[in-house]
Amino acid sequence: MTQAFLSIRKLRKAFGAFTAVHDVTLDIPKGEFLTFLGPSGSGKSTTLYAIAGFQDPTSGDVLLQDKSLLSVPSHKRNIGMVFQRYTLFPHLSVAENVAFPLRVRRRPEAEVKRKVADMLSLVRLENFAERLPAALSGGQQQRVALARALAYDPPILLMDEPLSALDKKLREEIQAEIRRIHRETGVTILYVTHDQEEALHLSDRIALFRDGRIEQIGTGEDLYLRPATDFVAGFIGNSNFLATEHLETIDGAATVRLADGSLVSGINANGSFQRGQKTRLMIRPEAFRLDQSPNGAELAVEIVDVAFYGERRRIVARTSAGQEIDIRPTSSAAATHEASPGRRQVFFDPGGAFLFPA
Amino acid sequence: MSVEAQQGIATPRIPAGLGGLLPALILIGLFFVVPVLALLLRSVTDPAPGLQNYAALLGDGTYARVFFNTFLVAAVVTIVTVLVAFPVAWMLAIMPAALASILFGIIILSMWTNLLTRTYAWMVLLQRTGVINRALMGAGIIDQPLPLINNLTGVTIGMVYIMLPFMILPLVGTLRAIDPMTLRAAALCGASPLAAFRRILLPLSLPGIAAGGLMVFVMSLGYFVTPALLGGTSNMMLAEMIAQMIQSLLNWGLGSAAAFILLVVTMALYALQLRLVGSKRAVGGA
Repeated sequence: MTQAFLSIRKLRKAFGAFTAVHDVTLDIPKGEFLTFLGPSGSGKSTTLYAIAGFQDPTSGDVLLQDKSLLSVPSHKRNIGMVFQRYTLFPHLSVAENVAFPLRVRRRPEAEVKRKVADMLSLVRLENFAERLPAALSGGQQQRVALARALAYDPPILLMDEPLSALDKKLREEIQAEIRRIHRETGVTILYVTHDQEEALHLSDRIALFRDGRIEQIGTGEDLYLRPATDFVAGFIGNSNFLATEHLETIDGAATVRLADGSLVSGINANGSFQRGQKTRLMIRPEAFRLDQSPNGAELAVEIVDVAFYGERRRIVARTSAGQEIDIRPTSSAAATHEASPGRRQVFFDPGGAFLFPA
Repeated sequence: MSVEAQQGIATPRIPAGLGGLLPALILIGLFFVVPVLALLLRSVTDPAPGLQNYAALLGDGTYARVFFNTFLVAAVVTIVTVLVAFPVAWMLAIMPAALASILFGIIILSMWTNLLTRTYAWMVLLQRTGVINRALMGAGIIDQPLPLINNLTGVTIGMVYIMLPFMILPLVGTLRAIDPMTLRAAALCGASPLAAFRRILLPLSLPGIAAGGLMVFVMSLGYFVTPALLGGTSNMMLAEMIAQMIQSLLNWGLGSAAAFILLVVTMALYALQLRLVGSKRAVGGA
């Protein structure tokens, strides 16, 4: 990793007896798009607010280019932020909203004009300059908010669930817009969301929050393909967890016994396990195949339901132990067609399955 | 043609509606329109037909002083009320709803307390040997009692106290509609608390200030009890003058003319308020 641009050092925030953030430490290099992902109440927004200066942390520090931000009031931090709700100034036109940060900085009129024009073209709202915010759609308002937050070239842009108030189609449209703007401006972005798809789509790296701690930080691929804990595996993507018993691990490849008594070998073990220890085997729905493959492990299931989802089929099956699992095979269309209710074997690559403590 | 068509649809409804409205129209006519017309009539006929009552009121320096003083007191009271009410309204707007409703209850309760009682209470507090002067002298802050009563200061204090709820209530409504996140956004944009207040909070609360301010101003123009009890003879207000003209001088014509001028000014201000509030709504809805 390059030298840290923004550093969060052992940040802790307690509200009375409840600790929202537990000693979070994080380094963010310049230009990175980092997402704080996690369920509500996991401390991701609280961490963001500490960076913005809306909440003073109980302990710890936030450093921007090695200088602490904590003693700097919000209005002097020079940070850009886009909020969950539309926070445009309702009495000012779109152009005046974007000009606002420049006007309070008393920049010369010519510079304000030029910058506002640049920003409105960046978010493609040149023709809306004289409108009032109330005359814009939700997506347009968030684009104005983005333009306003970037108008003063802040070193960091904070985004607190900026798309959660928008419908799915608009969300995807603005996501593309945000990616493009990140590419074009090179601004460092800290993005908060509870939507894992949004996080995977947008981010360079994702910090997955759970109960005020960072459970795992890494690229989307890291979190998806190499989850550190069962929480990560469960939160990123879809997962099936099968109850298993650990038998032995040799060179990180574990052998377990399934509930129906069959054995599976060559599984990725996270940590070390005792012989006979209860474990959970995580298999992604898309890791299942309906046709036999070399080195494939197999699982006896009863297919309960097959649903068509456009790009793929979703199969609901039940193991012989009675547990329902989700299967979304990526295999050829021909093999998918064979899926019909009834008993059969399904196959998976044990190298793409993970073992966690129960 | 379309106008005719509309009228054609509308006309059959009017007689039916008019019949139902008749009692209300009679009531309004008898108790509101007729007295005002009688007032106007008297002001131009008593003691003799003509505009001499208005000429006397508008031409005489003494009366002009009373008019000026009335507007001065109303303006000072309105400004001070806005200054006091704004922080109170802001606190009420941002505090937890349960606590705010208790404080609202207290404010409303004070409105229901007898006006005379409250004004006499201020006399007790403000007079030369009153609680405030004795406390200040006892603390050694002043040597001589401050002149807090029978002057503009006394009238302002007493009237601001009475007018506060009429300012606070509309202002809280306006301030509550402002998303506090907007102010956080302003701060992150680089606006100091003062700049955020001046450029964001104040412009957004102007409709509330205008509505409350005009109401306070109009009510203050015609106020009688408080200026009569807390004010001095040198700064008499219009309502007091009308009372004197009718009660002491038995000059009904002059009193009617003064009352009518007050009515016209009040209505003009009310029309202005309607225009302002109306146009604000139009902007907000656009």
